[in-house]
Amino acid sequence: MREFNVLVVDDEDEFRDLTVKRLEKRGLKAKGAAGGKEALEILEHSHTDVVLLDVKMPGMDGIETLRQIRIMRPLVEVVLLTGHASVDSGIEGMKLGAFDYLMKPIELEPLLEKLGDAYEKKRLHQEKIEQAQMKRHMSMPG
Amino acid sequence: MDQKNYYSAIKVRLTAIFCLLITVPMVILALFTISNLKDAAVKKIELSLGRLVDHKKEVISLFLKEKEDLLGMLVGMYPIEYLGHQENLNNLFKSLNREGSIVDLHVINSAGRQLAYVGPYASSITGKSYHDAQWFQEVLIKGSHVSDIFLGFRNVPHFVVAVTDPLKTYVLRATVNSEAFNNLLLSSLIGPNGDSFIVNREGKLQTPSRQGVKELSAEDRGYLEHHEGTSIINNGKTITATRWVKDGQWCLYVKTRIEDSLAAFYQTRNSVLIIIFLTGMAFLGLAALLAHYFLHRLEIYDRRRSELGAQMGQMEKMASVGRLAAGIAHEINNPLQMITNQAGWIAELLPDEDPALVKNMDEYTKAIEQIRHHVRRAGTITHRLLGFSRKLSSEKQSVQMNELIEEAISFVEREASYNNITIARDYHEALPTTMTDGPQLQQVFLNLLNNAVDAVGKGGKLEVRTALDAEGRLVLEFADNGPGIKPENLKQIFDPFFTTKEPGKGTGLGLYITYDIVQKLGGTIKVENRKGGGAVFTIVLPVITLGSSR
Repeated sequence: MREFNVLVVDDEDEFRDLTVKRLEKRGLKAKGAAGGKEALEILEHSHTDVVLLDVKMPGMDGIETLRQIRIMRPLVEVVLLTGHASVDSGIEGMKLGAFDYLMKPIELEPLLEKLGDAYEKKRLHQEKIEQAQMKRHMSMPG
Repeated sequence: MDQKNYYSAIKVRLTAIFCLLITVPMVILALFTISNLKDAAVKKIELSLGRLVDHKKEVISLFLKEKEDLLGMLVGMYPIEYLGHQENLNNLFKSLNREGSIVDLHVINSAGRQLAYVGPYASSITGKSYHDAQWFQEVLIKGSHVSDIFLGFRNVPHFVVAVTDPLKTYVLRATVNSEAFNNLLLSSLIGPNGDSFIVNREGKLQTPSRQGVKELSAEDRGYLEHHEGTSIINNGKTITATRWVKDGQWCLYVKTRIEDSLAAFYQTRNSVLIIIFLTGMAFLGLAALLAHYFLHRLEIYDRRRSELGAQMGQMEKMASVGRLAAGIAHEINNPLQMITNQAGWIAELLPDEDPALVKNMDEYTKAIEQIRHHVRRAGTITHRLLGFSRKLSSEKQSVQMNELIEEAISFVEREASYNNITIARDYHEALPTTMTDGPQLQQVFLNLLNNAVDAVGKGGKLEVRTALDAEGRLVLEFADNGPGIKPENLKQIFDPFFTTKEPGKGTGLGLYITYDIVQKLGGTIKVENRKGGGAVFTIVLPVITLGSSR
């Protein structure tokens, strides 16, 4: 698996820190954010490929954060994580452009797999855009 | 039982109210009519009695006048010299008295001396002077006199008529048998208890009372005032008509008992009563019928309402239970996440340790795997509770229930056949297709079929039936001939974690999920025990076509 940047957004410190630690152990570059605001700040300043976003958080909740991310960094893929009876919020998240949604409790392997898929999608997406930009450059003489 | 009493009490009350509503106005009308009829009947009696009295008065007056006129004519025709002779008077009496109503004849000169006499009292009367007699004076003054009635010879009532000639030279006096007079007063109109008689001014009876009355009663005496024309007095029992005759000397009484003359009225009244009674009975029957009908409707309505209430109660309970379960599941999911994370972290770090230093490496690895296994188990339960394991509301597809059920049966049939369980199908052939979530319904059918197979045991029988109800909805029945469901369990059979299976054999979520799915697909599910034993689950689903929106 290629190395990519993951941002873990969850208000629960224990979960966030451990997840970051485990992802890093698997060779990913992971950061943690305790809430939506912090997540957006980090996205602004540092490179991120995939966001693992808890749906239910105090303050700015996951859905609102997702909306902001889509505006700010349209290329960044978001995987939603929920422990709530929120098939509905899952659907809403998908409609807003989340890559997928996962239910707690989830083990690391399937989580890694999902994050990898998300990163792959992002990468392909980015490549296409770059190619398109190249074509444009090439078709524009001098 | 209480219910029965309640309804029959309402029924009685309703019937009574209907009855009162109908009969009270009818009775009032009847009483009013009868009272009016009676008044009219009494008025009619009074009127005819009045007419009778008028008529009798005419007859009596005529009778008296006739006698007076006869005598008047005689005194006018014959001079005193002629009639004063006993022989002439005898001849006259003979020719005059063919009817026998005249008892005797006196010829009296103006001085009151009797000149001649014909009659039975000749010996006692001959030569008597009447000069001082009041009647004689009256004749000389007025020209004529009619006496009161007295009992004369052989106890026969008589009265006296005396007339003088225009020159007042002599007086002709006749005693008249008044028996004929009595007959004049007879009339069928006055009835068997009626009476008719004549009294004089003093109230003395002049003709015999038909009821054998000897003296005027105090009440009748009260009517003895002089009045013009006919006076009619009604004292409630008796109608008395009085009229003065003979220039106010005699008073004619005619009395009739009201009761006797009301025969026609009673006949009419009885007819009215019979008609009212019959219509009353008819209305009573109608009222009872109406009450019965209303009660029947009420009972149906009540039953429907309580069924609906029970259904609503069940829905409400399931909704709150669902919320509670979801809340708990959510709260548990977070710690489960932490447990699996921490265990996973240990598993990841363990390989870094020096195997020589960790004595029980295998045990740790196994323990971690166990922890993860149990977290997965718990996770499965919470996910099922939350409906996570179900696919995201997949697109609706056109589903033929018969086919879908047949498919579900094919999954369980093999296992059932090992236990000699037969599955009977009774499919409605023209069952319409509906737009719904096939896979989820499939799960519902499987749940019900598996439960039924578990319930009946070896050699049991399942019955699956599809039908359309009156409102065009799909009715799917899954019945078995197992032991049925204990009544105390019926209410909580759909509750999450409610199970009658041995601990560890069932999660108690199957029927909860079944209920949840049916509910989300816009249908209802209920369970009943069959009379013949066993239970029947009935699912009712709407038929949704492409055009119709939910």
